[in-house]
Amino acid sequence: MDPAHFSRRQMLHSCGAGFGTLGWMGAMASNGLADVDSGGALPIGIPHFPARAKRVVFLFMNGAPSHVDTFDPKPLLAKHEGEQPSGKLYRESKGSGYMPSPFRFQPFGESGLVMSELLPNMSRHADDLCVIRSMHTDVPNHEPGLLMMNCGHLQPVRPSLGSWMSYGLGSENQNLPSFVVLSPGRPVVGPQLWSNSFLPGQYQGTSVDTNDLDVDRMVSNIRHPLLGRVEQRQQLDLLQAMNRKHMQARENDAVFDEQIRAMELAFQMQSEVREAFDVATESKETREMYGETPFSNSCLIARRLLESGVRMVQVYYVTSKNKQPWDTHSDNDNQHRKLCADSDRATAALLTDLKQRGMLDDTLVIWGGEFGRTPYSEINKKSEKAKPGRDHHHTGFSMALAGGGIRGGLTYGATDEFGMNAVEDRVHVHDLHATILHLMGLDHQRLTYRYSGRDFRLTDVHGRVVKELFT
Amino acid sequence: MFRISTSFFILLLILVVAFASGANADEAANIEFFEKKIRPVLVEHCYECHSSSSKAIKGELRLDTRETIRKGGESGAGIVPGDLEQSSIIAALKFDSVEMPPKGKLSESVIADFEKWISDGAVDPREAESAPAQASKPQIDWNVAMAFWSFQQPKRHDSPFLESNQWIQRPIDAFISAKLESEGLYPNDAADRRTLLRRASIDLIGLPPTEQEMQSFVQDESPTAYQDRVDQLLSSARFGERWARVWLDVARYAEDQAHIVGDDKSLFFPNAYLYRNWVVRAFNLDMPYDQFVRLQLAADLMSPDDREHWVALGFIGLGPKYYRRNAPDVMAEEWEDRVDTVTRGLLGVTVACARCHDHKYDPFPTEDYYALAGVFAGTEMLNMPLDESVEAKDGHAKDPDKSMHVIRDQKPRDIKVMIRGNVENEGELVERGFPRVLTGGEKITFKNGSGRLDLANAIASPNNPLTARVIVNRVWGQYFGKPLVGTPSNFGKLGERPSHPELLDDLSVRFMQNGWSLKWLHREIVLSATYQQSSTIDFEKQESDPANQWLWRAHRRRLSVEAWRDSLLVASGAIDYSFAKGSIQASKATEVRRTLYSSISRFQLDPLLVLFDFPDPNAHSERRSLTTTPLQKLFAMNSDFMLRQAEQLVDRLMNLNVSTNEDRIRNAYASIYSRNPDQEELLLGMDFLKEGSDEKRQWTKYLQALLASNELLIMD
Repeated sequence: MDPAHFSRRQMLHSCGAGFGTLGWMGAMASNGLADVDSGGALPIGIPHFPARAKRVVFLFMNGAPSHVDTFDPKPLLAKHEGEQPSGKLYRESKGSGYMPSPFRFQPFGESGLVMSELLPNMSRHADDLCVIRSMHTDVPNHEPGLLMMNCGHLQPVRPSLGSWMSYGLGSENQNLPSFVVLSPGRPVVGPQLWSNSFLPGQYQGTSVDTNDLDVDRMVSNIRHPLLGRVEQRQQLDLLQAMNRKHMQARENDAVFDEQIRAMELAFQMQSEVREAFDVATESKETREMYGETPFSNSCLIARRLLESGVRMVQVYYVTSKNKQPWDTHSDNDNQHRKLCADSDRATAALLTDLKQRGMLDDTLVIWGGEFGRTPYSEINKKSEKAKPGRDHHHTGFSMALAGGGIRGGLTYGATDEFGMNAVEDRVHVHDLHATILHLMGLDHQRLTYRYSGRDFRLTDVHGRVVKELFT
Repeated sequence: MFRISTSFFILLLILVVAFASGANADEAANIEFFEKKIRPVLVEHCYECHSSSSKAIKGELRLDTRETIRKGGESGAGIVPGDLEQSSIIAALKFDSVEMPPKGKLSESVIADFEKWISDGAVDPREAESAPAQASKPQIDWNVAMAFWSFQQPKRHDSPFLESNQWIQRPIDAFISAKLESEGLYPNDAADRRTLLRRASIDLIGLPPTEQEMQSFVQDESPTAYQDRVDQLLSSARFGERWARVWLDVARYAEDQAHIVGDDKSLFFPNAYLYRNWVVRAFNLDMPYDQFVRLQLAADLMSPDDREHWVALGFIGLGPKYYRRNAPDVMAEEWEDRVDTVTRGLLGVTVACARCHDHKYDPFPTEDYYALAGVFAGTEMLNMPLDESVEAKDGHAKDPDKSMHVIRDQKPRDIKVMIRGNVENEGELVERGFPRVLTGGEKITFKNGSGRLDLANAIASPNNPLTARVIVNRVWGQYFGKPLVGTPSNFGKLGERPSHPELLDDLSVRFMQNGWSLKWLHREIVLSATYQQSSTIDFEKQESDPANQWLWRAHRRRLSVEAWRDSLLVASGAIDYSFAKGSIQASKATEVRRTLYSSISRFQLDPLLVLFDFPDPNAHSERRSLTTTPLQKLFAMNSDFMLRQAEQLVDRLMNLNVSTNEDRIRNAYASIYSRNPDQEELLLGMDFLKEGSDEKRQWTKYLQALLASNELLIMD
């Protein structure tokens, strides 16, 4: 039975009887061995209302992509090129004033969604994409910005979006984790971004370094260092015989059965996990479509995982050498050319692939970073004057969404005419979180966990579900 | 006045009807307009000076309820629905009369929103929820507040008189027995000696007994045989290593930070282990718990000239340091960590809830939070030079590797309330002090330096109703799976009530009377008949009390990750008990020191620890959750660590002076389970070992299976 369809009563009953749902996420130990963690309610595993999306893939452009070069054209920047921005800035402008984007923007598809020439492949999906141009967050620093975008709070010690989702919805495939983080390298901040924090441990994101596509190296302990399957089976048969003998002398206690079943599941999982992560079986055409970069490989693995029932996959755009490639403080234009070429191809391939498999309708795809970049230039000592960069910018930026109940072709909200501040239909990160949870069938105000004497939420006391984005 | 309120009432009625019938979409849209366009502006730009939470309400104008925004203030009616001319707010927003907000004119579009809102009737769903002004903020009735069970002093209770009860061995048992009787239950028989010694040994020192120790105990006919073993275990140097970990969970012990900016490790704690080792020694020496607590908060102030115990200050000094520290909002977060760790960890109350508003359930007004936060606002984190040879600047060691991580007083100061937790929204200044509900309603302020020593004394006081109860409850929970109070860091209203209140109180008082001796407490528990019961599950009793709340049996437990990994190292023979410097990587196959000595990272915890429910060291842990997952089994099946232990044991067995597989199996059982195999087990093993062509490989497989078994993992 799909755990998402467990009724609360069934859930409570099965836990009380000592047989929690057992899978990758395991069972909270129960009767006889320990009590469910004192914090909050039981893991829920039941949506609050019918979900539009069954799964999420969050493509995270680490370092923050420039909105005025991708999704938010600002022709006025050319007219006012070189003028220093007015108004209150978070920190002093270090450059030579407003800097127009050199990239051509034009409408695409029937909807006429506007995108820049940097995204030629994604623009073919214009009618599936929804661009929010009025995103804003609290500070323009990477660490707190990343924490806000992933965990809804500027400081650590909050569960991540994916952990909340796992907690709220449980797992669709008990042989796989419900929340996987694919990261060819380590993003800034690191594991806090997929931390379960005070939620029970099984809701932590499983992070995988996708630089090396050898599955044994990606997923730890997935293969015995010496034994093949047959020999390992013989070993387990012996072990389980001993475990059963041990159990027979201890009647009426479910914990032993739970341990025995966990062992069996682990044995079976080995092959399923290996298969889910293994892109070698993909066709040449598919590999070609995605490209062969660390990010595109991650996108392909993401699709395999989503297909196998993983609830949320997050792909971080990082490399083994660079924790935040999109942080283009210098040479913004050329950097964006390169980065977008890679990201655009893989993202578009993922959209195509999901669509071909009939999965886009119930898969929410999110593309964006922790904030945007300044519409004015940054020239620092390291960068040449001819290659200006753009600084961090948090008061207005864009994110793109697709699938999973999102209205394709929609441009929502607006920044002012310079791209400085979100002014129309503003969407804070909390609002985005509330919206994502809503699409997954979760009410952000009811998805709570009691910890330290308080009922915590991903959105704290904020969050507006942006229903205008829905189909 | 009457007319106005009548029209409000009618408006309200319309709204209610509109919502109830769902007929009037306009009203709903108007409310949405208010929520989206108006309320956020009022909150952001106006409430600071014009709401019940303002420190001084300016112009006698409050904009935080429907009633008061219409009533207005010195400049006349704030708003008049439908009438822009008469709404003084509009003139102020346009800078036509007074200029509001004072920080700068709002954008035209915002002003247009206000005009639209007023023209459309100024629909405003705000009830007088925040109506009472500060002056009439609900006062806590301290007598009522202090009547709550956990805020009353614990008292001695005469053990329920059970004359004919042969079962009772310690006062604890009388309380347990009385409760069992009233529930129609009765205790299990005592566990057999092997089970009992394994249990006591793992509980007290975190390690299983050797086969020789088992044999000697089974054959010991002295009436004090068990007590002797318990006393030996209590005096073992391994005891502190087992129990230190319980404390380190409370103290959110870690050696680094959640954030790494670049490769900057300047905020890390390379010598954190000195604090960890201090805790081990303190427990081994049975340092009185009140002193143990005092030293961790104020060792430097207690003995300014003797630095022996200053490393104990790591309790605070190893706390999280956040990105952009020294910015006011970041320091406010750090103070919350300190207040949270101290109040939940030592007092079992959630005072940090009162950072943004008065505690919603417990009698902790916001002022109580800031009174405590002020203590930490007057301190700084310090890398103190380990000795005089270390180069230092203003007392800070230049090289953190040559320092210990403590705190010291800076300029003492009181801080102001931050309204709704917002650092920019200051309320009244609060004197440093202790929550009133814990001092018999008396207001105790801290005057000496930062107030740390005053704080330490207020906590480690026999008059504090919580301190002893909280630690007694934590210790109890380690032995019986479930503490007497199921929420060991929340003794407040939302926490659970004690299952055995009189027992908790009696034990807490006697604990204090016995010099706050933790070893006394451990002994009292382990020597009880309650503890010595078997864990056998009787079907009928199980039906009547499935959770074993009334303790009719001992609690069968999966070992903690520490006890499990240590047991594996004992079985393989590889364990190294040296009390050395630094830390180890728990999951690394070649590491042979006890799991306590693991490096604990806030950034990325060791994967083995993560798998087995180790708590996130970014914050105080109330208690560990306990999960069973296939990932744990993958570790047991496939990890280099497990394979290595099996291989080590194979080497040991092959080198023994025995020649038959049967003898080797016996030796393996003695090493791993501290017992002999029975006939069936011998046959099972010998059959298995006959297979395969590579003897050593087959033995490795066999021993890995034994090591991965439930018998080693679960304690009866």
